[in-house]
Amino acid sequence: MTSGTANGGDGPLLRTQGLSKAFGGVRAVDGVDFSLEQGELRSIIGPNGAGKSTLFKLLLGSIKPDKGKIWFRDRDVTRAEPHKRAHMGIGVKFQHLGVYGDLTVRHNMQLPLQHSLSGEAMDAEIARLLERLNLAGTEDRRVAELSHGQRQWLAIGMALAMRPVLLLLDEPTAGMGPEETRETGTLVHSVHEEGVTIVVVEHDMAFVRQLGAPVTVLHYGRVFAEGSLAAIEDNEDVRNIYLGASRTMAVRGRHH
Amino acid sequence: MERYLGGLTGPHEMGRHWGFWVGFLAVIAAGAAAPDYLSRYELLNFSNFLTSVFLALGLCVMWGFCGILSLGQGAFLGLGGYAYGIAGINFIESHGHTWAALGIGLAVPVLVAAVLGFIMFYARLRGVYVAILMLVVTLLLETFLNQTAGQGWFIGDAHLGGNNGLGRFSGVIREPPALDFGLGGDIEFNGRTRAFYFLVFGLVVVVYLGLRWLVNSKAGRVMIAIREDAERTEALGYDIRLIQLGVFCLGAFLAGLSGILYVSWESFITPTVFGVQNNILPVIWVAVAGRKSLTATVIGTLVLLWLSQKLAVQGNYALVVQGAILILVMMLLPEGAITGAVARFQALRQRLARRASA
Repeated sequence: MTSGTANGGDGPLLRTQGLSKAFGGVRAVDGVDFSLEQGELRSIIGPNGAGKSTLFKLLLGSIKPDKGKIWFRDRDVTRAEPHKRAHMGIGVKFQHLGVYGDLTVRHNMQLPLQHSLSGEAMDAEIARLLERLNLAGTEDRRVAELSHGQRQWLAIGMALAMRPVLLLLDEPTAGMGPEETRETGTLVHSVHEEGVTIVVVEHDMAFVRQLGAPVTVLHYGRVFAEGSLAAIEDNEDVRNIYLGASRTMAVRGRHH
Repeated sequence: MERYLGGLTGPHEMGRHWGFWVGFLAVIAAGAAAPDYLSRYELLNFSNFLTSVFLALGLCVMWGFCGILSLGQGAFLGLGGYAYGIAGINFIESHGHTWAALGIGLAVPVLVAAVLGFIMFYARLRGVYVAILMLVVTLLLETFLNQTAGQGWFIGDAHLGGNNGLGRFSGVIREPPALDFGLGGDIEFNGRTRAFYFLVFGLVVVVYLGLRWLVNSKAGRVMIAIREDAERTEALGYDIRLIQLGVFCLGAFLAGLSGILYVSWESFITPTVFGVQNNILPVIWVAVAGRKSLTATVIGTLVLLWLSQKLAVQGNYALVVQGAILILVMMLLPEGAITGAVARFQALRQRLARRASA
């Protein structure tokens, strides 16, 4: 889906330096240095209010940092607007469902695809993407008729339709049952295997374990720990701030 | 059907069934023949109602399709009307330059909208802030024009005239002239003529069809996406600020057209067009009819204008009754009376069809 040589230079695909953003007196993100190699899959976790959502919005560009810089493919994108970043190759799936319920699946998919495709080429691309998302044949159904999980996959599909180099997923399994969560994990892995770099911001530790990817832990807006899933799960400090509480969170997460 | 009518029958506007288009042609025929069966007074009155439809359609596209509510569309109607009137007094009677007056009448509201829209949308103002800022703008214009009664307020031969209205009390009365396309001696486009009726009726049909095509185009799809979720639309690669600005200018253009046609109809305009009532009423028309539908907006606007005129004859309750209608409709059918009724009817028909096939 995406070429492996997307990165212009030898540096990391995405890098932030001293990234900070305060709301009122609260430092939501406070001096974050974060770096991501081409082809990586990374989970970002942290307790409520750790700054996950703010970091996510800073990366996609809907809010701008007070201090610090963001480089993507060796270009400074700190002040770039979200639509510019989208065309540079940053795809986003928001936590809230950004699919349009009154419209059909086809009309939703047309929105990202109409930048470059039309007519039969677009129909073929829609069919190809829906096939990958376990949504084959749903083109003419209204989105409101889809299950919650199917709508989440459609939202991922709309992000994939932009052919991103980097895909940012905010809580892709929010509100899903165990079966749908498992299928979402399989989908994320298959997209990753095609060479797309992926960042998953997640609340549900069960899903983070299923991904098995390296983890960055945020706490009070700072990078608290970073490492392999096993190392993070063994880290006593992380357990103290997060993992103890997260078991109950993970269980609760299934019920909304 | 799809092949012949293309973008006119897309998913974003009611009327995809052939029956709708049969009805549409019947309405066109009835409208074209109206001068044959309406009295002179009724035709003059209907012409007046039709001049407001452009304003309402502009608000429908802005608010219903793109999510931009403005409480100051009267500002653009007034700017269009005043600009046309001032240019008309200076050019049309002395030089016959209708096209220049028309062009100025459309350009002024669009340019003002471009400046205001640039400031608002590039500062990422949204929702209630845009609505209130526009109300402030229109009330400022009303206040300004109300104090232009003195002899110093001339633009060329046009006296602004304060709250007496453009060109009325300036020693020598020079009122804004009607449109004059130079079609020969007898053809005038003021409110009393059939020519004016045909002009405004034809424009309503053309603008309605043009907007149907727009909302079902690629750009229309993006507009609806912005209404539903602006942040996500940006992440799919669209510069929402630019699209909001474009839609805002389109709304101003259509409001300006309403203003021009109104001045041509009446040969008169006063600062009350900028007032609260003239800015709230269009919102009521569009909300009551169904803001997400162009068809509902046209029908609802004409019905409510007719109703308020009937009520005005009875006494000063028109506004109160329209407010009550708004509250009632918002409680029972929040998507609007016509849109809501059509949706209920379609749901019923589907249920019956399902029962019949089961």
